[in-house]
Amino acid sequence: MTESVAAAAAWRELARRRVGVVAVCRVELRKLAAQVPLRFAAAVCLVAPFAFAAMLRVQQAVPADTLFGRWVHASGFAVPLVVLGFAGSWGFPVLAGLVAGDLFSSEDRYGTWKTALTRSCSRFELFAGKTAAAMLCTVGLVALLAVTSLAAGLLEAGDRPLLGLSGNVIPAGHAAGLVLESFGLALVPTLGFTSLALLLSAASRSGIVGVLGPAIAGLVMQLLSLVGSGEVVRTLLLGTGFDAWHGLFASPAFDRPAGQAALVSLAYILLLLGGAWVVVRRRDFAGASPEPRRRWLAPGCWGAAAAAAAALLAVAAPLGPPTVTAGRLDAAITPAFTSLAALQQRELGHELGGRTSMKVLTTCSRRGASTPYRGPGDDWTCAITAVAPDLRQLPLNYDVDVRPNGCYTAHGPTSVGGSTLRGRGAGKLNPLYAFDGCFED
Amino acid sequence: MPSSATLQRTAAVECRALVKQFGETRAVDGVDVDVERGQVLGLVGPNGAGKTTLLRMLLGLARPDAGTIALLGRRLDTNDPRLPDGVAGFVEEPRFYPYLSVRANLELLVRLDGGGARPIDGALERAGLARIARQKAGGLSTGTRQRLGIAAALIREPLLIVLDEPASGLDPAGARELRALVRELARDGVAVLLSSHDMAEVEDLCDAVTILRRGRVVWDGPLERLRAEAPAAVRRLETSDDARALSLARKLPRVRIEPAPDRGLTVSAGGADLDRLVLHLAVAGIAVRRLEVEQTPLESMFFTLTEGPR
Repeated sequence: MTESVAAAAAWRELARRRVGVVAVCRVELRKLAAQVPLRFAAAVCLVAPFAFAAMLRVQQAVPADTLFGRWVHASGFAVPLVVLGFAGSWGFPVLAGLVAGDLFSSEDRYGTWKTALTRSCSRFELFAGKTAAAMLCTVGLVALLAVTSLAAGLLEAGDRPLLGLSGNVIPAGHAAGLVLESFGLALVPTLGFTSLALLLSAASRSGIVGVLGPAIAGLVMQLLSLVGSGEVVRTLLLGTGFDAWHGLFASPAFDRPAGQAALVSLAYILLLLGGAWVVVRRRDFAGASPEPRRRWLAPGCWGAAAAAAAALLAVAAPLGPPTVTAGRLDAAITPAFTSLAALQQRELGHELGGRTSMKVLTTCSRRGASTPYRGPGDDWTCAITAVAPDLRQLPLNYDVDVRPNGCYTAHGPTSVGGSTLRGRGAGKLNPLYAFDGCFED
Repeated sequence: MPSSATLQRTAAVECRALVKQFGETRAVDGVDVDVERGQVLGLVGPNGAGKTTLLRMLLGLARPDAGTIALLGRRLDTNDPRLPDGVAGFVEEPRFYPYLSVRANLELLVRLDGGGARPIDGALERAGLARIARQKAGGLSTGTRQRLGIAAALIREPLLIVLDEPASGLDPAGARELRALVRELARDGVAVLLSSHDMAEVEDLCDAVTILRRGRVVWDGPLERLRAEAPAAVRRLETSDDARALSLARKLPRVRIEPAPDRGLTVSAGGADLDRLVLHLAVAGIAVRRLEVEQTPLESMFFTLTEGPR
């Protein structure tokens, strides 16, 4: 055997001692666990739901402008859903930034890239291990938030059944499962924001950009979803996935938004992580720092590209069929009102003989809008006519605020009673006074 | 490690025609470097000579624009520059995770090396860090970080160790311990490639020297040959009458003497010629008040090679 062949054989033997992504992931998890941002995020996930529940108890006021907000004192399962609503607006992008936004850039700040790269692991193993650690931490924190907010809700209001988004009553066991499933659905876009944080961290080499970037992107996406009424851009936005859980609480439940959100989030994850890997793989750790002017060139280009993309999406926002139409709203409000009216009567101790005994007709339109039968806004009016079994008609006008994500809040006239019931159901919320719902977009 | 026997017969470093370019500047320009097992090679050159860039390429941190690198007989793949087992080292100041302890840093690095029973305690002991193993790395002085860098290299049980100015930041005692450690490693058959500005350190430690200037090798070979080719040492001479001493010395063969920029004279002469100069000065009634080495022969050679016209 020649010398070179012997050396090659020896190296093959040494090469078997590969480090592996799991080992790198464990290293990164230990590093993350030793740092303040992750500890802070974990502390917030652990404490914030209980603090929120305690605040609700002290104030007695309810966050009525949030889905399930008016039911936080009525069912323990409403609290985690309110928390999920807040978290989806800005909490999860911030969480993703805290977990992953400094993962690559901290190696630049501490000058430890060369320390890590002069060990036996490959660049890919380092990248994949860091990515896996960030994803695991994200999953862990979202799961922690789900568990603590569910526990806080149960402590605050007990395990009474939850009123769904079509006026349907969801029993406690099923509601608990749906709450956990909702957090699971919200996890998918959160992992997309984690991927964004990883890309920003690797590309900008700045912890500030990596940590704040996902939060800013989340806000921009929210603004974009408010700009136009078209379905195309809304579907393509990563943040839209945070609303995918609404369909679970409707009757019948709809899962198309969840499927769409999963696909869109997966596409974001693949694209963003692919970009981050290209940045890390191509990087030369030659030690030559660019001139001050050039140092800002790359982040500047990235910022300009992001702004251009946002502008393009804003222009394209009206494209596609509208999410909110009078027909969809009619179709959503009719069964919701029917169920809620039946519930109200039951709470008051009246026997109606089942929901089929009452017919409801709904006609919705916008007051004074240039597009009277479509688009989100707080100027919708729904004329609901309830026809009792004895053919007595009860005309009601509801003011409806319809949001771009297909959820609405309907405020009833005084003729349906006050916010709480009187008589036999005294003290309970009047389900017809105001109610929330969502329809499939 | 069963492969050691084979690896012992293989050159530790074989670089051929290495090139690294930054824009218009060729930081490394066609450099060949060879290090044998058990050899200590000093990589010497002024700032900007390309030493650190060369070491970065050897450690897989920077991709060469041309040329090949083989470490312990294995050609480094520039597309997947995973550092081979048996190779360890650091470039510039070694850096660590400041929020972790000295020991925790080493434990993480062991995991990045594939785990297994690595001699963390032994490495801490050899690097003189056993007493501060629990201290956070963020509070370490430059010299202590340098020691930790050496410990981090030792836990890889290296057959080749690459050190970039390892004594920088160390106090005299630390530098002495480091030199003893490098000698010990070389005795154990470990190849050592170290860069340095300090010719005295190189002279003390190295078997062979490669001198770089503006990215190119201007001299390489065994230290003995460098010594043989080196000019005489440059000495500072101060006398009771420097003007007369200058005039007298200029008449002597093989003695080069010039007025020093501040005061006194600088003399370059071999041992016997220097003796003769001192005797002549005494006979002429000129007292020698100070005669000390300003540049060793190797330093003189270094300056000749790196500062002279090329």
